[in-house]
Amino acid sequence: MTSRRLNLQGNQACALGAIAAGCRFFAGYPITPSSEIAETMSGELPRVGGTFVQMEDEIASMAAVIGASMGGVKAMTATSGPGFSLKQENLGYACGAEIPCVVVNVMRGGPSTGMPTRPAQGDIMQARWGTHGDHTVIVLAPASVAETYSETIRAFDLSERLRVPVVLLLDEVIGHLVETVELGTTATAATRKFATGPREEFQPYAVTEDLVPPMPRPGDGYRAHTTGLTHAPDGFPTQKPDEVRAAIGRLSDKLVLHRELIESWHSQAADDAEVMIVAIGITARAAQKAVDDLRAQGVRAGLFRPVTLWPFPEQALRDVVAKSGARAVIVPEMNQGQLVLEVERLLGRDLKVTGLNRFDGEPLSPADIAARVREELAP
Amino acid sequence: MNMETEMNLQDRPFDINDYIRLNMMPHFLCPGCGHGIALRALLWAVHELGLDKDRLAVVSGIGCSGRLSAYVDANSFHTTHGRPLAFATGLALARPDLTVIVITGDGDSLAIGGNHLIHACRRNLNMTCLMLNNEIYGMTGGQVSPTTSADRYTTTTPAGNREPVFDACALAAAAGAGFVGREVTLQVTGLKDLIRKAIAHDGFSFVEVISDCTEIYGRKNDLGASPEMMLGQKAVMRPDTYRSTVDVPFRPNALKTGVLQQTDRPEYGSSYRAMVAARQRDSGEDR
Amino acid sequence: MNATEIRFSGSGGQGLITAARILASALVDQGRNVAQSQSYEPVSRGGLSRADLIVSDGEAAYPLVSRLDFLLILDQAAAHASDDLLGEGALVLVDSALVRDPPQGAFRCLALPFTETAQGLGNKRAANLVALGALVGLAEICPFDALERATAARMPARLERLNTEALAAGRAMADAQVVPAGG
Repeated sequence: MTSRRLNLQGNQACALGAIAAGCRFFAGYPITPSSEIAETMSGELPRVGGTFVQMEDEIASMAAVIGASMGGVKAMTATSGPGFSLKQENLGYACGAEIPCVVVNVMRGGPSTGMPTRPAQGDIMQARWGTHGDHTVIVLAPASVAETYSETIRAFDLSERLRVPVVLLLDEVIGHLVETVELGTTATAATRKFATGPREEFQPYAVTEDLVPPMPRPGDGYRAHTTGLTHAPDGFPTQKPDEVRAAIGRLSDKLVLHRELIESWHSQAADDAEVMIVAIGITARAAQKAVDDLRAQGVRAGLFRPVTLWPFPEQALRDVVAKSGARAVIVPEMNQGQLVLEVERLLGRDLKVTGLNRFDGEPLSPADIAARVREELAP
Repeated sequence: MNMETEMNLQDRPFDINDYIRLNMMPHFLCPGCGHGIALRALLWAVHELGLDKDRLAVVSGIGCSGRLSAYVDANSFHTTHGRPLAFATGLALARPDLTVIVITGDGDSLAIGGNHLIHACRRNLNMTCLMLNNEIYGMTGGQVSPTTSADRYTTTTPAGNREPVFDACALAAAAGAGFVGREVTLQVTGLKDLIRKAIAHDGFSFVEVISDCTEIYGRKNDLGASPEMMLGQKAVMRPDTYRSTVDVPFRPNALKTGVLQQTDRPEYGSSYRAMVAARQRDSGEDR
Repeated sequence: MNATEIRFSGSGGQGLITAARILASALVDQGRNVAQSQSYEPVSRGGLSRADLIVSDGEAAYPLVSRLDFLLILDQAAAHASDDLLGEGALVLVDSALVRDPPQGAFRCLALPFTETAQGLGNKRAANLVALGALVGLAEICPFDALERATAARMPARLERLNTEALAAGRAMADAQVVPAGG
């Protein structure tokens, strides 16, 4: 079979990407605007011998996903706003116990129940810092239906390779958008390293060269212990400062070590941009059009679009902006200013960094962004 | 442990040392705590059933009961507060080859995890849930729980508990658990036999173990040391073998022990897998 | 090349998203690229509803509408919801029975009896396909037989005859319009 050309919704593309990545377990709970992911998985998983379960709540669906993954099966859940808040408790467990899993959050208007059918980008910081305690997580933010498919596969790949939960952050527009895509049949995701070798010496959280310990699989004879308590390399709880420092430190060192694998970003017309735009998701698509329109009129605007949102591609942004010689950076987003905080942290000492914010349930348009760029360049 | 002892485990008389992680001893339970007896009864039942430790998964939540999974020489998962049944649901659906045992407490499964318990009973997925009921949040210092008896003093009921008590077995039975039973820790062999039946049952099995918290709950309420507490528990229990012929007039509030419900409701995992097999056959024909 | 922007608007339950998806599927069969989005209120029936299509030859830079080429309005509730997106050269089709107060401006606006015609065919719920037939006839963005094939592929077989008649009735409305030279 070669590639298929079809009209596909973002949420469906996410589900099909997960199947292609080898996901064989999905647990979820109905919530707008992400329900199509669960609906699609409920039909697709049985076809490939996988398991779909609709749990009693969002907390349980996150727990079931981790349970399946601890059983050695690639697993995913999907939700939106209020549900993402409920998932944070067990998402933290997956961070601490290093259980691979993919959590999709299709962002809608908030806070609280907010606007279930309207788009927003208000969970940028929650995706990074939503669960309590010092932790690391990977967040990917696709900007098209095709990219939703490929980034879902990459989410599994990173999660499995690095034993870290990966959040796929969509916005309502991308989740419900239908676009013509060509689905390749070659993209696949890695499968985690399972423990092999002598059982007696096995340490489930041993410090390996790649900082990613092989995972024991029930039935393989390791009879390991997994806990959300801070644990030593043997998997059992510890509060000894040196062991705690090593355990927590490794979780972040692991992502730093594999930064190149994790980071993904795109730039457009950046080389000589006087004004650089930084945006994600549907806002990045608007920015893309704004840059096209501005360039057609001789205005030197450029775009930096992080696909990996967290850990933020710091060096790439610094390099792209430095090379362009841009004198101002604009960060449009559908919230009151979240992404702009990270951009300010990275560039704010030398450059003027300002936000362009819309939080009324409507996406920022190309015209909104273009107008803001012109304003910036006005004498 | 060498391979020879592993292979012969089931032919030998039960020795708890074959089933616990000796490197984790001494355990952290208080003197007189009933949880250790419950763990022993569980492991004894595991031994009698001849279960393979490599395919045994013990999932626990948070609280004193939650710590027990770490002592079992099996695949052990110490999860989050109230959620062990939800973790276990994912594990059991993904890995039907495993024997899944959940160890939880009264706070863990009836308060913060109440919804998961109800739906685990309804779903009737093959696993065994041991709820160790000691009427208290012991780990956090002795706060009132959904099963704290009337008028008892706890750190959050300084004038005595006024809240009604949950009957966990009635709840589990009403929610559809395929197997429901209750036993006190004083009856170790009875408890072992009950757990053995629960694990052997194909479906969701709920076992309430009446445990005791001597150090915190017992002291605060002048209930005596462990032997007195256990005898006191025994005194208000009425084994199901007594039927209703004996002592009802004398002990009108007695809780029944033994097997309280056993049904042949379809086990969820196998019915889901049958659907999956049918779907795969159908899509095979489509091709 | 410039993308073509099309909006189907009305109230929830009128089959707007269905019509948009049929057209999208016909277009992709013709090798075009589409981006289809929708907006609805958090109710299952009723409420302002719309479905948008951007038709282009590659991936659309921006997949949401900003200046409509074609606008279909099937309910008064949607009559002025898209006024900001209408400019010179647009073509607006409104249901003559359900839209009392169509948009006015420097664009062409036709009031056509979509619902009435569908009722005549025996099912007023086919108004969406009458309108789709008219739109495709006037907009000339897709061969009519491709539209018929896409409709048959996406709709229940028991409705095939009704749907074919609805599309044809819409096309006849389009053919009856005399387009003045120069638009």
